[in-house]
Amino acid sequence: MTGQPDYNAMSDDDFRAMVRSFVEASYPDIPRHSLSRLHWHEVKPWYLILSQKGWICPTWPREHGGMGLTAGKHLIMIEEFERYGCARVNDIGPVMLGPLLLRHGSEEQKAQFLPRILSGEDVWAQGYSEPGAGSDLAAVRCEAVRDGDDWVINGQKTWCTLGMDANWVFILARTDKTVKKQAGISFLLVPMDAPGVTIRNIENLELEAEFCEVFFDDVRVPADHIVGRVNDGWSVAKALLGHERVFIGAPRLSASALARLGHIARRAGVWDDPVFRDRYVTLQCDVMDLTDLFETYVDRLRDGREIGADVAMLKIFQSELYQRISELMMEVAAEDSGLRATPEGDRQLHAAATWLSARPTTIFGGSTEIMRNMLAKAVLELPS
Amino acid sequence: MMDGTMNEDWIENARMIVESARAVVPADGNLARVRAARFQGCGFDRAVMAQAAELGWPLMRVAEDAGGLGLGLRETCALMEVLGAGLLPEPVLSTITAAALLQEALPEEAMTGEAVIVTAWQDATGDQGWQGGARDGTLQGTKVHVPGADGADLFAVLTCAGVAIVPRDAQGVTVESAETLDGCRPGRVRLDGVAAEILPCPRAEAVLQDARLAHAAYLLGLSGRALEITLDYLRVREQFGRPIGSFQSLQHRATEMKISLELSRAAIFATARRFDAGADPRARAHGAARCKLRASALAMLVAREAVQMHGAMGITDEADIGLFVRKAMAEANTYGSPREQRATLTGLLAEEHAA
Repeated sequence: MTGQPDYNAMSDDDFRAMVRSFVEASYPDIPRHSLSRLHWHEVKPWYLILSQKGWICPTWPREHGGMGLTAGKHLIMIEEFERYGCARVNDIGPVMLGPLLLRHGSEEQKAQFLPRILSGEDVWAQGYSEPGAGSDLAAVRCEAVRDGDDWVINGQKTWCTLGMDANWVFILARTDKTVKKQAGISFLLVPMDAPGVTIRNIENLELEAEFCEVFFDDVRVPADHIVGRVNDGWSVAKALLGHERVFIGAPRLSASALARLGHIARRAGVWDDPVFRDRYVTLQCDVMDLTDLFETYVDRLRDGREIGADVAMLKIFQSELYQRISELMMEVAAEDSGLRATPEGDRQLHAAATWLSARPTTIFGGSTEIMRNMLAKAVLELPS
Repeated sequence: MMDGTMNEDWIENARMIVESARAVVPADGNLARVRAARFQGCGFDRAVMAQAAELGWPLMRVAEDAGGLGLGLRETCALMEVLGAGLLPEPVLSTITAAALLQEALPEEAMTGEAVIVTAWQDATGDQGWQGGARDGTLQGTKVHVPGADGADLFAVLTCAGVAIVPRDAQGVTVESAETLDGCRPGRVRLDGVAAEILPCPRAEAVLQDARLAHAAYLLGLSGRALEITLDYLRVREQFGRPIGSFQSLQHRATEMKISLELSRAAIFATARRFDAGADPRARAHGAARCKLRASALAMLVAREAVQMHGAMGITDEADIGLFVRKAMAEANTYGSPREQRATLTGLLAEEHAA
């Protein structure tokens, strides 16, 4: 990888202008503003363009092939991508595994895996949840047993987002059943083409296969495919997600849904209806209040201050707000919201599509209920 | 760079003002004075108003070249948050507003605290109109819900013609006060052909928007302290052999209050920053209405939940949480009820659409 320039030295306005013109000039002929995730075969051209440019891993340090962006610059990049409606790439490698290896991986692991994420050669999936371990993630039962120089893995993972596109998966596996559940988990890297790995797609409520189950049947991986120490996988996996903890609560989903609500209302002829307006302005205020709260966290990131457990408030409010906006969309679209597609055929303005796409936001990445439990204890200091 | 320096300035100013507020709001949250002052006399303590004047609060929003402190709205909101947390019954905001309207015309005795001045601007209940009350160069009409009316010496009467200083004992002035739930005595000021010099006041609407935002900060402070008290109770009150704060249903509802509180705080201080930087009239109207809308909803949410979570203690007058509940009820609808704020917001939406 050739070195990237120091983008942080640019002014915000110049950086924004540069990102904008690059996106407008380079975005390939693939969907924009898609409500559902694109698969690798669709989004790969965009991944490779970003990879060529050296922009696929904005937060990684420059010496590792990233852009080394500060939070402020990263946010500008996200905003410009969102503005143009760029499809989200398969970003588990750039966003999750890369930063995790940089922090906990061995030098060999970094040398082996980071370049292949940067190039798009490897597409990663996350294997955390199991049928019996969702919110209670530490209850994972998928097991890895040491046999000579290998780990032998048996069990099942589920809800692997775009897992069918991946050639590697990282998993949390039980490596000690005799200790407290969090203390017997290890973090392992598994090639999807290893003998004994099978996957089964799961159709979601939108009738799309966005996630899958992965089964492990005597799957062998070399001993050095463990990240961090044996039985230390829980703290490896729990380690920071960098800026993502803040950006997961960004107001952009709600803001764009609110704009679509406006379009749907105009089309349905209720934009001037005072009953609608009363509810619309309330949601609009919610989006603006969220934006103001989000900015306080972005300021903290910019100033290099710590982000505490209270950041969960952003995600809780944003995801519930997104859902409330989608609920008003359904009312406004009225009977048309019950159709599989709008009469006009535009998925963007199909209320049901937004309603459905808003559902996972309160479930994945920490369900709202789990986050409220955590807030109550860590921030409000309520007793257990 | 410039912005960073200004940021530090406001934080330092706000810190000093908040510290000065400790002179009238006990740091330990003792509400004995507030409790004792309820339903007594004019409903507030003139000595505290004099103290506020000594601390320079009336001059906060008077420009420096008009002899004031020229402080920003963020500083004002920081002060109001502390005063709200202490349930201060004195009409400090109304005095700050009067001074902001009058600028260099603020009378000396109001500056020193010798006289208490409050703002008489509102024409009717449930309505944010303030233009009424002037006829042929005299004051003729009624101003309602004037804070501290029962104990005020001077009224800054705002009409479409401008602002006038009216002594309460001036010819043609009648004050009728009424007790509020929290034991204050705001009132109705009748003006019957009152002769007064009416000074032009081009920033009247902006000053009232500032007051609306500052009042939202008062509700924020009130709500924050009421939430703290309620959380304390959840930590110590035991039932079924456990602190009730360990129950998930209460924990989740507590997080809802916390989220609403932090949204409100972020919105108020971001809006104050925009006002300080010079927001356009539409953004001002929208910002003040948005913040007041959330702060009112927050105060009533916390009031309801505080009562419920305190159980039977929540419906007694002896528990301090009741003081917060009654104050929230008395103040959530001043400077415009949520319905009025939403009416403002839907009106702005219509304008935007038409433009």
